Amino acid sequence: MKQKQTLVEIEGYFRKVARAVGLHWGLAEEAGKAARWLAAFDLPGPELMLSHLQNIEGKDYEQFKPIIGSDSINAHWQANDQTLCPIITGAAIADRAKFLLNGHTISLVSAAYPILLAATIGQATRSHNMVITISWANVKLSCYGNGIRIEGDRKDLWLDKTEFVSCQQTFDTLPEQLPSTLSYSIDSEAWKIVDQLAFRTYAPATEESRAGAGAGLTDND
Amino acid sequence: MNCTDQNPVPEAANFRRPAEVVMRLARMGSFHQTRLSFMRTLLRRLKNEQWTFDKPVWEVDGDGFGRAVYSVIGPVRTYSLVAFSHYLPDEMRSDRVIATAWDATFTLFDGVPTTADLDRLEKNVPKQEAGRISDSEISLSRANRSVRLWNHVIEKLSIGEQPDREQLESVGYLVRTTAVYGSGKFGAADRLTICDRPELSGPFQAELLSVWLTRAFAIDLVEHIAQSVGGDKAAVIAPDLRKRIGVGNSTGLGMAPFLFNHPALINNWMMAREEAIARVRAVNKASAAEVTEFVTSFERAKFNFSNWNTVHKIQLEKLASLGDDLEKMSVYISTENLNFDYPWDRFYQWAEQHLSLEGQEQLVSLILEPYGELVDDLTGCMDADEHLSFIIDGSMTVAETLNILDLQCQWALSIDFDQPESQARFWYTSAEKLEPRVGERFNEPGEEYESPYGIGFYISQLNKTLLGWTETHSDQKPIADFLLAHPEHRHTLRRVQNLKNRPYAEVQDNVIASDMLPIDLLRCKLSFFGATKFDPRSDRWVRICMYQDCPHPDELLARKIPVLA
Repeated sequence: MKQKQTLVEIEGYFRKVARAVGLHWGLAEEAGKAARWLAAFDLPGPELMLSHLQNIEGKDYEQFKPIIGSDSINAHWQANDQTLCPIITGAAIADRAKFLLNGHTISLVSAAYPILLAATIGQATRSHNMVITISWANVKLSCYGNGIRIEGDRKDLWLDKTEFVSCQQTFDTLPEQLPSTLSYSIDSEAWKIVDQLAFRTYAPATEESRAGAGAGLTDND
Repeated sequence: MNCTDQNPVPEAANFRRPAEVVMRLARMGSFHQTRLSFMRTLLRRLKNEQWTFDKPVWEVDGDGFGRAVYSVIGPVRTYSLVAFSHYLPDEMRSDRVIATAWDATFTLFDGVPTTADLDRLEKNVPKQEAGRISDSEISLSRANRSVRLWNHVIEKLSIGEQPDREQLESVGYLVRTTAVYGSGKFGAADRLTICDRPELSGPFQAELLSVWLTRAFAIDLVEHIAQSVGGDKAAVIAPDLRKRIGVGNSTGLGMAPFLFNHPALINNWMMAREEAIARVRAVNKASAAEVTEFVTSFERAKFNFSNWNTVHKIQLEKLASLGDDLEKMSVYISTENLNFDYPWDRFYQWAEQHLSLEGQEQLVSLILEPYGELVDDLTGCMDADEHLSFIIDGSMTVAETLNILDLQCQWALSIDFDQPESQARFWYTSAEKLEPRVGERFNEPGEEYESPYGIGFYISQLNKTLLGWTETHSDQKPIADFLLAHPEHRHTLRRVQNLKNRPYAEVQDNVIASDMLPIDLLRCKLSFFGATKFDPRSDRWVRICMYQDCPHPDELLARKIPVLA
């Protein structure tokens, strides 16, 4: 069964889920944006984001972050002893968008959920007015400031892991799909888990919080 | 318009108040509505574009329960307030967000709802957060009656008399809204759905349209009930009294984090307001007509002050100061002062020396009044493309980042966070109602759930870590390298970078300090809405009045001409 959630809800809940599983707020914000971005293209990014966040729950950040060669970021990026986290790595690439603008390619070895990586990187395209194409397996996803283009085998979009990813600036094409602003239909069971995980970021009520938040006077006046 | 590149009054830059003066809680908590406030922007547009008004549905019984639809029809689109009125026992009437039932509930529908839409909405809107609306709805809200005034007005009207003016003015509204949700909350349309529509692109235009129509509904409802009770002898509210009826609002902490969560937007609100003030201060000579208009506005402010009621100690003290300030301003105006060169700048500089913050901020609101042509275009600069402020420029060097911290964050770096009072509070979201709360860090459990709003503290931590990092790394390294090593500072770094082009983006006070007053945050935001009569009920809860003395839909807009069958 599916249920509709607005894009604002997708972003806000996934930010909290990411926080609940242990990411710092700044990266949790990236996870929320990426989930929303995929939902706006009606891609099942939110469900995949949930799977990924459940996988990394409570694990050490250092395991998943990319090790960037000290001599050059042109070298292949890889994680210490795990697959690369698409949020941590995607944010690190988005931070280096100007490096891609200069014609360089960033290549990754062994990354989890490459579509989540693309969505996190894709956030940077509009502010840098550029197109970034992320390629893995037999599929290419180009991120534009205002849309996406998918080429190749769409089945590979949903891979939970891929051995090689490349990211570079591309030119001379137009997006084939623009984002929607309408609500996204998400699997109800998945949303139930999202809701439960997000709930972990809320503080149980105390007598003090109840007493302090309100008017303290009658409202029947 | 492009708000930075096409500034028609470049000389105003010399008069603009810097962020370190403006973005202080004590000053923000003294803001008054201005002609740039969102309610006034909305009504100006509806009038200028000659929107029309209609009430296509009125299905309300003699006790005042049922449903109604109020539509405003613009050049391109129609929006409709769908209103449901319910029986509510007194013991269930609460303005708190934890309430589960209300006297009336509303949604703003995108277009004109069909009967099927109304039936669907009737199953959901009365439940508010527990229901679900759709992409066809733009806002969700509720209101409770002001019991003291509601019953009095019905009683009087039903016997053919007018309500007591003093009683009506002392309350100022028939209903208080207790939450107005928009932007994708509870299933409503996403902000991006409406942000390209000129009439809704400005901040909170949809929500404030719904509140304006709520005011009309409340007045129709009391007159309808009075008519049902009194029959032929019942009266309607006299026009001069009717205008004095606004809409109340009761707001707690839920509103405060908005100021932390939308730094780019807040910058643009503040920037527009400060630019407007600076443009007027840059005016070389005030014409006789401009002075007259200022004096008229000043008299209105004095009148507003005279029926601004509160029982809260903090606001009582502020009102006492404002009363003194208004007296001093009266004396200032009665001399030749406004005939000098740069009269408004002189007036403002005098105010800085002689008036409290309440008085200073009252003055800056008033000097804008005669200058609509000079400042109203700035309302077009008060929205924000928040996506652009989200992206981190990782190529910025560590040295540049430290420079921003040094130049723009001294307010945070100068706070001694080792003192318990500097960290006494923490913001969190309550599991009880998913609403923001403020806790006492050293006396209450829950610190581990802290929301990242204490930006001053985080800035000081970032600064400390960055300085440490430069002991082993070149400060010419890109900040992206630092962020990869220190993901805990990513949230803060995003905000600090944002300050480079958006100097008014952050509240420059410690919002986790023991003496922080959340009502200052609430008042700042509500003043931008256009609220008046700020009446704190505690340090974190405030009642206000909206749209008092503003025209009603049937006064501002022509009635839609019915299409003949």
